[in-house]
Formats: sequence, structure tokens, C-alpha cells
Amino acid sequence: MKNNIVYKYSLKLRWPATCRNRSVEILKERPDLIDTMNNFRSKIDNILKIVCRKSFQVDGAHSMTGVRLWFQSGQDAYEFIIRQPEFDWEIVPEISVINNITSQLQTYNIVYTPTGVVID
Amino acid sequence: MKSAYITVVGSMPVKFDLSQARKLGPIIGSSNNNKSVIFDFATVNTELNLQDMLNTEVFQQTNILTPENLYKKYLFFDQLSALPNFPGLKSFDIEQEKCSPQTLSLLLSVYLQKKVIFLLGYDISNPTELTRLKSIILANPDIKFMYICNPPRTYQLDDMPNGYCDTYIKFQELIDREK
Repeated sequence: MKNNIVYKYSLKLRWPATCRNRSVEILKERPDLIDTMNNFRSKIDNILKIVCRKSFQVDGAHSMTGVRLWFQSGQDAYEFIIRQPEFDWEIVPEISVINNITSQLQTYNIVYTPTGVVID
Repeated sequence: MKSAYITVVGSMPVKFDLSQARKLGPIIGSSNNNKSVIFDFATVNTELNLQDMLNTEVFQQTNILTPENLYKKYLFFDQLSALPNFPGLKSFDIEQEKCSPQTLSLLLSVYLQKKVIFLLGYDISNPTELTRLKSIILANPDIKFMYICNPPRTYQLDDMPNGYCDTYIKFQELIDREK
């Protein structure tokens, strides 16, 4: 039987400022924005290859706010969050986790403190 | 195949090869009381015990469940999950954060909707624990609760229509039959 990977943790990374909150009509007229978004996606993919020890996935579905990322391991998700300043991008301060028992996606707030990251 | 059985290992030491019980279905451990077998699930509600479990090899493959307040502090550990909201907790006067881990394991076993729940090393010497066990048994008439102990058998559950008591020998016989 195929061993399916479960992506338990999910984060959303905001698009570069110029690409946020753009309607489909605008995107159709602005290929430069599409290029920026595609480059952004490939940059994320390359960085995830460096950061993650286990499997990850960049969600293909379009969202106006950003790109959804899925992590198999919580340790990888944490590493990605704390290395945010290094790559100079902005994570939506929320983490979604799939509960192994209920299979529900539970969302928690990420709170940045001077000493690290806490979940509220 | 989905198993109809589930085994809850309480807070007392168990002189039984728990890997045998796995042949019947999943096993739930209560906190870090027993480290002799890889549990499918384990419940814990104190930070110190949770830290110990996260750092113990035998619990690396176990799905550890903990109340949400504690879960948030250790969310980035893959084997950890938040306990679900068990129905009727208020009527049982049970708080996930304050009750014993064996009560949490029992609630989890009920939540997983198996037909027969085996209770091994389950401490009923404490009147609160016994009352809670009886309340949960009464609230779940479709589930059979089988308390396993060494002879002489206890009569504490005899007044329960779906509560039974048997010995480890009979439990082993059942495992051998089900193989």
C-alpha cells in the first residue's frame, strides 16, 4: 500500500506587497505581477528545500493574501517561522494544524515575543 | 480491518505482556506510567510528564494527546495532538486539565467508538476514579467495559449492566482465540 504523507502543519506566506489584494481582472492585465508571483513561488520552493528535513508542499490554489504552505513536520514549520527575517518575507501570524484524532484543521495565533515564538 | 476492541492501560503497574493486547486492537497509555510497549495513543495533562514523554524513545511513535492549554506550548512536536472536546464532561464533573490521565484515556477510548474497552492496570481504589468510571460506563450503554485484574476478581463493577470483570488469564485466552 502506498505510504501517504500527511501534511499536518500549515502556514500562509503573504505575497510581495505589489501582488496582494489583486483581482483576477487586474492580474490578467498585468503579466508583470504574475511573473513576480511565479518567481516568489519558486523562491519559496527553493528555500523550503533548504529549510525542511521532511516533506513540504506549496499549495497551488490561488489566494489573494498569499501562498499556503504545508509541512509534514512541526519542527520544519518552526524553523521556517524563526528564519523569517533571514529571507525577508512575511508570514500571516496563524498556524493551522490537523488534529490526528478528529481530522479537524485547528488554527492558532502565532505571537512573536523578544525571546521567540509562542502559540496562543 | 477496523478493530472492535481497544485497551486502556491505567496508572497502575501491569504484569502482562502488553504487546499481546495489541493483537486485539489499539492500546492507550496513561501518561508516562508504563514504558514497556509502544502505545498507539497516550494521554497526559502535566507538563513535566509530557516533557518526559517527548524525550522518551518509546513514545516517539505514539500519538500523545493533551489538553489544549498544554498542547499550545508544545504544538511543534509532531506526535502531539490536542484532546478532542469529549461530550458530557461537565455532567461528569471532569476537567481535562485536572483529572487523572487514566480518566482521559478512558474518555478517549469511548470517543474512538469501539465496542469493547479493556481496562488494564486501571486504578479503582480511589473512590473518585471509581465513581467516574461508573458514570462513564453508565453513559455508554452500547460499549462493553471489561476490567482486567489478577484473582481474586473485584465485584465493584457488578452493578453495571455493561461493566464486567475478568482475569488476565481469560484476557490471554481471548487474545489467543482472536489471533
